[in-house]
Amino acid sequence: MFKNMQHEWFFNIRGDILSGLVVALALIPEAIAFSIIAGVDPKVGLYASFCIAVIIAFVGGRPGMISAATGAMALLMVTLVKQHGLEYLLAATLLTGVLQIVIGYLKLGGLMRFVSKSVVTGFVNALAILIFIAQLPQLTDVTWHVYAVTAAGLGIIYLFPLIPKIGKAVPSTLICIVTLTAAAIYLGLDVRTVGDMGQLPDTLPIFLWPDVPLNFETLWIILPYALALSIVGLLESLMTANIIDELTDTKHDRDQECKGQGIANIGAGLLGGMAGCAMIGQSVINIKSGGRGRLSTFCAGFFLLLMVVFLSDWIKQIPMAALVAVMIMVSIGSFSWSSVRDFKKHPISTNIVMLTTVAVVLSTHNLALGVLAGVLLSALFFVNKISRLMIVKQESTAAELRYQVIGQVFFASAEKLFASFDFSYAADRVVIDLTRAHFWDITAVAALDQIVIKYQRLGAEVSLIGINEASKTVIDKFGVHSDAQTAATLSNEH
Amino acid sequence: MQKILACIDESTWSTSVQDAAIWAAQQLSNPLTFLHSIEKQHLPDSNDLSGAIGFGARSKLLSEIATLDQLRAKVALQLGKELLATAELKAQEAGCTDVETVQRHGEFIDNLLALESTARLIIMGHSGSKTDKKVTILGTNVESLLRQISTPVLITPHDFTAPKNFMLAYDGRATTEAAIEHILTSDLLRGLDCHLVTIKNKHPDQHEKFAQATERLKQGGFNVTATYLEGDISKQLLTYQQENAVDMLVMGAFASPRLRQFFIGSNTLKMLGNSTVPILVMR
Repeated sequence: MFKNMQHEWFFNIRGDILSGLVVALALIPEAIAFSIIAGVDPKVGLYASFCIAVIIAFVGGRPGMISAATGAMALLMVTLVKQHGLEYLLAATLLTGVLQIVIGYLKLGGLMRFVSKSVVTGFVNALAILIFIAQLPQLTDVTWHVYAVTAAGLGIIYLFPLIPKIGKAVPSTLICIVTLTAAAIYLGLDVRTVGDMGQLPDTLPIFLWPDVPLNFETLWIILPYALALSIVGLLESLMTANIIDELTDTKHDRDQECKGQGIANIGAGLLGGMAGCAMIGQSVINIKSGGRGRLSTFCAGFFLLLMVVFLSDWIKQIPMAALVAVMIMVSIGSFSWSSVRDFKKHPISTNIVMLTTVAVVLSTHNLALGVLAGVLLSALFFVNKISRLMIVKQESTAAELRYQVIGQVFFASAEKLFASFDFSYAADRVVIDLTRAHFWDITAVAALDQIVIKYQRLGAEVSLIGINEASKTVIDKFGVHSDAQTAATLSNEH
Repeated sequence: MQKILACIDESTWSTSVQDAAIWAAQQLSNPLTFLHSIEKQHLPDSNDLSGAIGFGARSKLLSEIATLDQLRAKVALQLGKELLATAELKAQEAGCTDVETVQRHGEFIDNLLALESTARLIIMGHSGSKTDKKVTILGTNVESLLRQISTPVLITPHDFTAPKNFMLAYDGRATTEAAIEHILTSDLLRGLDCHLVTIKNKHPDQHEKFAQATERLKQGGFNVTATYLEGDISKQLLTYQQENAVDMLVMGAFASPRLRQFFIGSNTLKMLGNSTVPILVMR
């Protein structure tokens, strides 16, 4: 019991506390930005980020991963908030949590094995682009001051760390926000600030049951949203967990992470926060800053709340442009640049899957649909590749035709199988050797039946040899040609 | 032939484990294997708190961390090889003929569990490389290992001297009966004087069983001193051990359920934590 605590919580105290602080500073802009995307007050995203980070620290399956309010989730809530309001969003958040816990218990996280590397890359890139696009409203129809502040922000974020010694000792996001806020106040710049975007938290979060009628009508309203939220949340969380696994050379507990995300969302829903999930950019920042244990996630949430509640008067003054700069940094850091750099080296099918995933996400704003499209497409490409692994060899003597089928026979290669046989050759006897063939499905069996019957109707004796065990089971189950009665019926129909 | 598995690391306890292993190998004349586990260093080494992530942040971070891990692993690998070579040489010089060394990556306990089936006796230090030279602090690995393993484990203190006698804490339960059986069939404690000690408990047939156990050990050729004590189990046993200059403790592990131990504390752990002599634990 206690050993586990030591192992996952307190083996890296200094690193975890410092990295938690760094992450908390980057979480504030994100939580505010994503609240704005979802169309709710910044406090909804901030409460959510606090709750989710703190709860997932205890119940998550991947120590060191940061979960909070995210853009992927916020994009799915827009219409719900617009049409039905905040209370329905909170109810949907609760339902999302319940669904995720169910998914965790059903061990559906294992389905992640169908999500290929190129789909993950597409997902990550789409997410980065979405985060970037979400910043554009802050940058359109504004004075040149906003552009100047944003550019200065990016300059500080990327150039400050290059200063020797102090550059890497202080989070550059903090320097960016503090400097730009001070400059904006001092110069009296007419730029939008966080305070203009809605209510900020002024108290600690309080327990609230969503004020919605508890009936089926409510359920039908929130269910589609909750389904999409739970799937996208788990997809992003499990993908991020894989990325952290790779970085730290450790393993995560997939089902535990699904349940943990569920519990965290229920907690967020009850404390007035929106649904969230793991964040790729923040988790990378955490690992980069030396965070490894559960303590780092906890600290991120805890410091976030402290700063927000006790510094809310100051946070109101932060120019939105400074937050936009931080978000652009997160977007750049999340994007998989290697996928662009190695674009020419990768097979075309890989690139098509990646681009399709990105395109579907960008057009629907739903990451789940993008992943679905990517998974289907990569499955089709795979099927196509495997269907090429079949050849038919032909040998003929005066009265006998001899075929050898080698490779995988299934729906995608069945047509090719049929086309490989020569039906014009007048043979007394046809031998089909299946020793090195594998029949996978009913389509393959039907094609074989068709071939056998066709030869029989041409007056040839057909014998099948060397059906290997696996093929035999499929043929026994579906085949018709060995049944004389059925064969005759089929022949008459033609 | 089943092996004696001695677990060494870079701590100062390793010397004592080597001495104990040589002693056990000579008593049992079984082959001796030294095991060194390279445990992954979880501690990151980051001084970059800028929190800024730029172009290709993930792949850059991965290669940085991987390079660091590689450097650390190489050092650990080399260090382990040297430790094993030293131990092997020492055992051969002491006259052990059948000595081999094994080096494994991964958690020490996992490696040991994987090799358990080939071992008849496991020898490990009371503490490990992460603890200082304070004998009262039990190494973090010891307890979890004892709960998972069924092979006898010899836990050595910081300094090992070949024992002349041993004390068996007898409580009449199945684990101690099994320990007696083991003592009788094994050569490990052959030729040592036996102190059979029991602490009064609520079992009605305790006296009878105690007498039987004494008789069995005597018949097995042991020179037995049987003592019956009352009071706090671990305190009494440790006092007896000190007063009678007992060189080694033999006990069965974890008699009571885990939940009870959580609140009341386990006598096994108290003994392990407070002992300054080698302890042989049998399940």
